[in-house]
Amino acid sequence: MTSPQIPIHKHTLKNGLRVVIAPDSAAPVVTVGVYYKIGFRLEPQGRSGFAHLFEHMMFQGSENAPKMQHIKLINSSGGVLNGSTMYDVTNYYEAVPSNALERVLWLEADRMRALRVDEENLINQRDVVKEEVRVNVLNQPYGGFPWLDMPPVAFRNWANAHNFYGDFADLDAASLADVQKFFHTYYVPNNAVLLLLGDLNPQEGMALAEKYFGTINPGAAPAFADPTEPPQSEERQGYVQEKFGTLPAMAIGYVLPPRRTAEWHSMVLLDQALHGGRAGRVYRELVLEKQIAVEADGGIDDVFGYNGPAQTTTRILHKPEYSAEQTLAAFDAVIREVQEKGISQEELDHLKVKWRSDYYSTLEGGRGGYMPRYGLMHLLACFSLFDNQPELVNSILEGFLAVPGDQIQAVAQKYLRPQNRAIVFRTPVKQDAKEAA
Amino acid sequence: MMASPAQEFPVSAPALAPERPVTWPTRQRVQLSNGLQIVLAEAHAIPKFHGELFFRAGEALVSDRSVGLAEMTAAVLRTGTANRTSRQIEEDLRRLGANLGTSAGQDTSAISFTGLSEFAEPLLGLVSELARRATFPEPEFERERRQKLEEVKLERTSPGFLAGERLRKVLFGSHPYARVSPSEEQVAAYIRGDLDQVYRKIYTPENALLVLVGDFEPQAMLAITEKTFGNWTGKKPEPKATPQLPELNGRRVYLVHNPGSVQTQLLVGCHAITRKHPDWIRLGLANSIYGGAFNSRLVMNIREAKGYTYSPRSGVNPLRQHGYFSISAAVRNDVVAASLTEIVYELDRLRSLPVPASELADAQNYLSGVFSMGLATQEGLLSQFSTVELNGLPQDYLETYRDKVRALTSADLLATARKYLDSANVQIVVVGDRAQIQEQAALFGPLELYDAHGSRLQ
Repeated sequence: MTSPQIPIHKHTLKNGLRVVIAPDSAAPVVTVGVYYKIGFRLEPQGRSGFAHLFEHMMFQGSENAPKMQHIKLINSSGGVLNGSTMYDVTNYYEAVPSNALERVLWLEADRMRALRVDEENLINQRDVVKEEVRVNVLNQPYGGFPWLDMPPVAFRNWANAHNFYGDFADLDAASLADVQKFFHTYYVPNNAVLLLLGDLNPQEGMALAEKYFGTINPGAAPAFADPTEPPQSEERQGYVQEKFGTLPAMAIGYVLPPRRTAEWHSMVLLDQALHGGRAGRVYRELVLEKQIAVEADGGIDDVFGYNGPAQTTTRILHKPEYSAEQTLAAFDAVIREVQEKGISQEELDHLKVKWRSDYYSTLEGGRGGYMPRYGLMHLLACFSLFDNQPELVNSILEGFLAVPGDQIQAVAQKYLRPQNRAIVFRTPVKQDAKEAA
Repeated sequence: MMASPAQEFPVSAPALAPERPVTWPTRQRVQLSNGLQIVLAEAHAIPKFHGELFFRAGEALVSDRSVGLAEMTAAVLRTGTANRTSRQIEEDLRRLGANLGTSAGQDTSAISFTGLSEFAEPLLGLVSELARRATFPEPEFERERRQKLEEVKLERTSPGFLAGERLRKVLFGSHPYARVSPSEEQVAAYIRGDLDQVYRKIYTPENALLVLVGDFEPQAMLAITEKTFGNWTGKKPEPKATPQLPELNGRRVYLVHNPGSVQTQLLVGCHAITRKHPDWIRLGLANSIYGGAFNSRLVMNIREAKGYTYSPRSGVNPLRQHGYFSISAAVRNDVVAASLTEIVYELDRLRSLPVPASELADAQNYLSGVFSMGLATQEGLLSQFSTVELNGLPQDYLETYRDKVRALTSADLLATARKYLDSANVQIVVVGDRAQIQEQAALFGPLELYDAHGSRLQ
């Protein structure tokens, strides 16, 4: 077995911007990403949802590309673009035919250099974001469950516990001055990484990066709030009403070991034993065997993409004829079994094969069928910003494949404890949709 | 902010460099003596492969018996074969580093899979077992049926589902395409024998297409497929006569009452065409100008200029026998009428005024560029090759697509919009709280009111 090795060219510009290039000419397409090391976790207090609102503002105009030009220039080059706000990073990315590389770099550099937006843009995008929250959360059955419901229950530090999509009052309070301040604090070249993947010559790519980004002034290194959580001494529980859905639901989250430690590697494989699809123990027991749940899934969300306290979370929608207590007892039985018996060497071997296979898919795969090389871009970016080591994409797999059998049981006992978990119950207001109609 | 010397960076966007050639990988097309059609292509970025075994029939063929049976058949299919229990199947997949999904739509049923190249043979062996020797164990069927009962209740709480269901009813009338999901009563009445029948009818080699893309040597892979599928037998099912579509004259509004909604889901649609229709590419280009791209008119209008919605889009939805065009947006309750006004306005604009040359060129670039994105992944290639085969498109479809897009003119677009996009005849579905939106919606045509279960309300 030889794992694919990604060729990586990296360089840091004088202004601190890291540039990572991974050439691959299989298709005449380049993917360009700019990642900034700021996400919703460390957005300013009193401004919940701001990191995401700000991400929208980055499409609203820059020095030489006014509103609508950015989107127009990418689409009319034959490309697609988007951005997303995560816990600890915000990304902007484009996939274009490779003849448009220079144009994309010009655009990304222009908005890294100077954002040019006005009050009207802000009001417009505030309205758009509110509709985004409505369509994804407020007007959907189980909207935001559990990714928005869990943090305030599980965590005590505001950084980890607040509403990441934003309270509407906070969104309304956000001002143009906040936008510019956030931009000048976090959107500096020395807090970012530029990624170029696909059909390009690495030397030419590096020269173009220098040409377009090299003259952007660096800023002061941003000061980040400390996301550390105070110690937890008992299980935490919370309750949320479900306005539309008809099934009772619960989510159980356990805090993970620090990333890139031996325990973390073991925990990730344990997580696969629990949540690895239909062979995973949680789905097998709750849906297939005991038939208590209609859905039972979850796991670590974006395992390489966070840089602070995080959980593995199980999400369960169960049949109304079973109580929450019965459902939780069935889940606890799954946890207890792995704590008492661990897993067999054979199961561990199989988990490693599956994990390796899934990792290859991450390296090759796109996003939503339209964004080639998203997976590789994301890994290179996060390993650059968190570890200053994009090469980790070529070696991180080894740590997982080396996990010894007894370690799975050990981390199960140490981390899957009530004192390390939080539970959110999401309970339907209506028992049956028919009665309420 | 510190000033930076302006002359050191360009003040306008760099021009595009010359286009690089787009070369689709060579496909091998083979038909086994039992009728199974096979398409193979290499893609070596990772030591894995993607595959999909398609059957050219789905819900529409078996809808006389009930709704959703092809999907239920696909769901139970993976829960037992002559040689393996449900649990063995799932654990074997994991052992092979594989993912597998079974599904059915109106026109196809499919087993899709991806796995490590080193385990290609055992994975194809498992796929073959599912396609040929599924046993539909009674307890597994019963479990899936009870789970489905909960799912069909649940989907009625999703505005997007309710809108799609109503539009399909309106556009397709008594055609099977009108029925997107079963009722609770229908699911309650499923019996295991139904699944057996669907399975025997649809899952045959003569009715099948196997597409494999990935890191393998084609001759070796072909040998595996011959060994695995060669002795499988079965005829393709008789096609079924289907009713005509309803004639829709005049714009009507269908309000699905969703109490407590804090937003309104709009879905506007009309009949359109299949993938195979000669107008497919020109309607695709019209759509990308209307609402099919981020840079499209509708998105720029109701999102970027007005802030009514986060997610407006339009699309041409091809089914095998018919197709339809649809426009969707989830909007603020107080701008339902304002949003519909813009949706109608943009339709009318497209059929009244020629698209300016620069906008046409931009849209042509967009469509032809995005088309090439499929080249970059095994999954993307598989999807493109499957589309060609399942729709019976010409073998040079992928290679000539970009030239065909570039050959279109503003006059073509005007004619296409006039032929297909008529705001006076679109059907408008709105899902939301009637108290907040009924008056606004009724401005756009005679209004019919429904509850989430499809019953007419007064």
